[in-house]
Amino acid sequence: MISLIGFIGLLFSCIFSVSIVISFFNQNKKVYEKIFYYSVYLSAISILVSFLALILAFINSDFSNYTVFQNSHSSKPLLYKIAGTWGNHEGSMLLWLVIMLIYNCVFSFNKTLDISLKKLTILFQSSIYICFALFVIFTSNPFLVNSILVNEGLGLNPILQDPALAIHPPLLYLGYVGFSLILCLSLSGTLLNKIDKEWILTTKNWTLFCWSMLTGGIALGSYWAYYELGWGGWWFWDPVENVSLMPWIAGLALVHSLMMAKNEPLLKRWIVFLSILCFSLSIFGTFLVRSGILTSVHSFASDSSRGIFILILFLIITGFSFILFIFKSNESNTKLNLLFINKTSALVINNIVMIIACLTILLGTIYPIIIEVVSNKRISVGAPYFNSTALPILLPGFLLMSIAPALSWQNNKLPKFKYYLITFISMSTLTVIISWFSFFSIWGFIGLLLSFIIIAGSVLTIYINSTKFGYQNFLNYNNALIAHIGVGIMILGITCSSVFKSEYSLSILKNEEIKFDKYSVELIDIKILERDNFQELKAFLQINKDKKVMSLVNPSKRYYHVSKIITTEVGIYRNWFQDFYTVLGSENNKKWDIKIYTNPLVNLIWFGVLLMVFSGFVGILKNE
Amino acid sequence: MNKIILSIPIFIILIISIFLFIFLLQEKNPTKPPSALLNEELPKFSLVSLFDKTVTLSSLDVVNQITLINFFASWCAPCKVEHPLFFKIKKKYLNLFILGIDMQDTNKDAIEFLTTDGNPYDYVGVDEQGLVGVEFGVIGLPETFVVNKDGKIIYKYLGPLTDKIIEDEIEPLLQ
Repeated sequence: MISLIGFIGLLFSCIFSVSIVISFFNQNKKVYEKIFYYSVYLSAISILVSFLALILAFINSDFSNYTVFQNSHSSKPLLYKIAGTWGNHEGSMLLWLVIMLIYNCVFSFNKTLDISLKKLTILFQSSIYICFALFVIFTSNPFLVNSILVNEGLGLNPILQDPALAIHPPLLYLGYVGFSLILCLSLSGTLLNKIDKEWILTTKNWTLFCWSMLTGGIALGSYWAYYELGWGGWWFWDPVENVSLMPWIAGLALVHSLMMAKNEPLLKRWIVFLSILCFSLSIFGTFLVRSGILTSVHSFASDSSRGIFILILFLIITGFSFILFIFKSNESNTKLNLLFINKTSALVINNIVMIIACLTILLGTIYPIIIEVVSNKRISVGAPYFNSTALPILLPGFLLMSIAPALSWQNNKLPKFKYYLITFISMSTLTVIISWFSFFSIWGFIGLLLSFIIIAGSVLTIYINSTKFGYQNFLNYNNALIAHIGVGIMILGITCSSVFKSEYSLSILKNEEIKFDKYSVELIDIKILERDNFQELKAFLQINKDKKVMSLVNPSKRYYHVSKIITTEVGIYRNWFQDFYTVLGSENNKKWDIKIYTNPLVNLIWFGVLLMVFSGFVGILKNE
Repeated sequence: MNKIILSIPIFIILIISIFLFIFLLQEKNPTKPPSALLNEELPKFSLVSLFDKTVTLSSLDVVNQITLINFFASWCAPCKVEHPLFFKIKKKYLNLFILGIDMQDTNKDAIEFLTTDGNPYDYVGVDEQGLVGVEFGVIGLPETFVVNKDGKIIYKYLGPLTDKIIEDEIEPLLQ
């Protein structure tokens, strides 16, 4: 019953979207104007009803629904039953549709844009929606009825039962599905030749919102990987991570270009290009993940007919957008105000760097596919490729970040150049000293230097701004700088946690104390505990420094009865300076294998990201 | 000139899409990883029957007939999903020998499973330690193999079978 309501809601959202299209082309009659807007609201309401129906089916463990049967289990905690709704292909595609229409509906309340521009944008968004809705109905219907009568479901992957992972997909989708609206804004702006100040402001706000959400989503995913997978790492250059990173980078370039666009009119065409690129990369990513072409930790149940459907969608949407872009975008007669070093040139370098990085990652991600088609051999491209290509490419961009916000539009001068010079020299000296007293590694040196320069440069600019403008409207003047400090902090975290991390493999008896580095670890006890739906083998480790107890950590292994899966739960002790990350291994002659990683400053990564997201939201709220 | 530069992205997209289409149409499915065993001789094994400890079946007993080998266990949920399909196959191909290998399972659970859900297998062998599974390169349950009359492995599928896979891929091999 509830599945039926859900399916009807899905159908109605489609019908209302078609009615948006029809009423758009009959604008001369007054009635259609009303129908147009009511259809926008009603389509959003119907898809919400449909989504709620699916959530209810998951909450009630209604195994007569095939998606619920495949992906849920009655013994799951409530939170994960709900999160299970979007933890599978069908449900997540429904979430995709929900987000498209909610964006459409919220956008329809916009008061600043030209009416015709607004309506055309809604038309494009609804048309894209219809394509995706057809995809869901024909290849990924979440409301299929289960053909056999069962009283228990199959889905109980304990690894996925985690709060961070429950909100990771919705955030990610709010980001990259949202790019569809940016694409529609660009297409209608180009078609009507109305890319003006209002357009730029609206697009900038939407892009900032989507990009911030995407940033948060990616960060949550990596945080989950860090504490759940027990490999001590947090980014694996997994194909699915790459496909979320590509629209993120393109979105970053877009955000920067939009912020500059009010002063540099020539960028309009480039902005249109970037917004097409953003959503194209989003669909492309979806294609790679859902077609089952790539195997990764994120693999969904795959089906090549889905793949072909999305690939055709990708070709239609991207092809149409680019063709419109080629024939309709106007050439501007003004020249870019490019100087050796001014804001415009910094922006151009930033954009070039990001696009090249994006293409490099794209190449690495699809290279195995091309090779397999051509030579029938299976290869894999992993972290070494990405680390040695994408990172060096991004370096000049990072370097520019420290001073770019302080540069001028018109001339080559960097105001208070002396202060910057002194800051940079002292930061370089500091880095040399640190490397001297720890150990030298080329990546460590570059990473530290970059982060110090970015943070110090931005703080200096904030200081100069504050002496000039006072502390009123502090966020207005310094918002971009806060984001840049976030990047600096993130680089510091990445560098320290990867270059300066140490790994110890120990074999320890009960009540034995073993030294590692400046610390020691003692196995106090190891117990088997019976829990609701799993059995846990829990170690009680005590980490000491100079005979003083620092902390007790509990790495453990869990055995889930229903799914017969064993998971490792890491035990982490955090202090300001580093994480002690412990993993419990197996037993051998009463000796337990444990692994201890010390990850210095690793939490700065997520703190830096948080600053970026914060700055993204401030960017939307601040008055221009 | 300008238009040509602007159309570069379209060309890149087209080229990439062509590769992807070819890839999809070749159906390079990750559920069918290239098995080193494909077109190789059946590995040697000897299996005690689940129902009678005195009976054993060895790899020599399955030559001269087409054999379908299915690795399963009572604790494996996807195995339960594909289970009814073997009855269908059995009904359609009376001469087919279906060998079930119960892997890393207790005899009690396995017998209970086959009594409640029915037993479509001609012979059920016990592989308690999963050693026969290792010989076959089994990496997850269920896995299904087809062995031809010459004792060669001609097909392997990873994951639960579906009607479509049986129709499109397995039945042509059984003719």
